[in-house]
Amino acid sequence: MEAQFTDPEVSKAKFESEISQYRELAADYCARGWFLTEASFPIATVLIALPQLNPPVLLTGVRFDYTNYDARPPSVQLVNPFTGEPYRHRELPTSLNRAVPVPGAAIPGAPPGIAIQMKTVQPLMQAHDPDEIPFLCIAGVREYHEHPGHSGDAWELHRACGAGRIVRLLDVIHKYGAAPIREFQVNLVPQVGLALNEAPE
Amino acid sequence: MAPKKLEITVVVNGQPTAVDAEESRPLESIVPIALEQTHNTGQPPSNWELRDSAGEVLDGDKEIHTFHFPPGVRLFLNLKAGVGG
Repeated sequence: MEAQFTDPEVSKAKFESEISQYRELAADYCARGWFLTEASFPIATVLIALPQLNPPVLLTGVRFDYTNYDARPPSVQLVNPFTGEPYRHRELPTSLNRAVPVPGAAIPGAPPGIAIQMKTVQPLMQAHDPDEIPFLCIAGVREYHEHPGHSGDAWELHRACGAGRIVRLLDVIHKYGAAPIREFQVNLVPQVGLALNEAPE
Repeated sequence: MAPKKLEITVVVNGQPTAVDAEESRPLESIVPIALEQTHNTGQPPSNWELRDSAGEVLDGDKEIHTFHFPPGVRLFLNLKAGVGG
C-alpha cells in the first residue's frame, strides 16, 4: 500500500467529497447495479451487479485506494465481491474488452476509398502474467500512470477533467464489463457412449 | 417567440449541475455548458459520453425535444476511456 505523503486532511476531504456526491445519487447508481459497500478513507469498495439478468448476478467488486488523492490518481483493482481479495488475471470475471478499429484493408478491384472496416478487441485489464494482479489500463488510474509504457501520459494531464473520480472510473468498468452482458450463456456438452447391460457370466 | 427551454440536470463525473437547454438544439449542445459549469477542463466535448439514468448512450446529434425528457430529468456525462493499453 502506498504511503500517504500529501497532506492527509486534503486527501481525506477530497475523498469524502467523492463519497458524499456518490451517495446523493446512490439510488441512480443502485439501479445500474452499483452498491457502495465500504467508504473509509482512503478505501472505497463498490460491488457491480447485473440487474439486466434474471436472476441478477454479482459480477465483481471494485476497490479504490485514494491515498494521496489528487496529487496522485487512485489505485483501482477488481476484487472478489465476497472475500475482497484482488482477482489475479486468470481469475477475472471480465477483462473489460473494448473494440478498437484497425486500419481498413483495401478491397482488390474496388474503387479508391472503399476498404474493409475491421475491429480488434483490446482488454482494458492488463497483466504480464496470468498469476499477476491486473490493472485497469486507462488514464486516471495509478497503475496506468506508474507503468513505464505510459511515462509520456502524466496524471497531471488528466487530473483537471476528473479522470480519477470514482463515478467516472465505475462508468468505464460498467461500460466495458457489465453493460455488454445481456444474457446467460449455457454450454451443454452431450456425451455419447455405449450403454452396456450387465456383464454376462 | 422565445425558444422553449428545459432544465436538465447533468451529472458530470458524479457532480450534478443544472443546464438550461433549448429544446430545438442538439443534445450535444449541453455538453460544453455542463463542463464549463463544473470546471472540467482539458478534454474536448467529443471525449465525453452522455447517458441516461439506465446507462444507455444518447445520440448527441438528435434534437433535445425528440427525447421527450420529463421535467427534472437527470443525465450522466462521463469522460470516455481514451486510448488504453
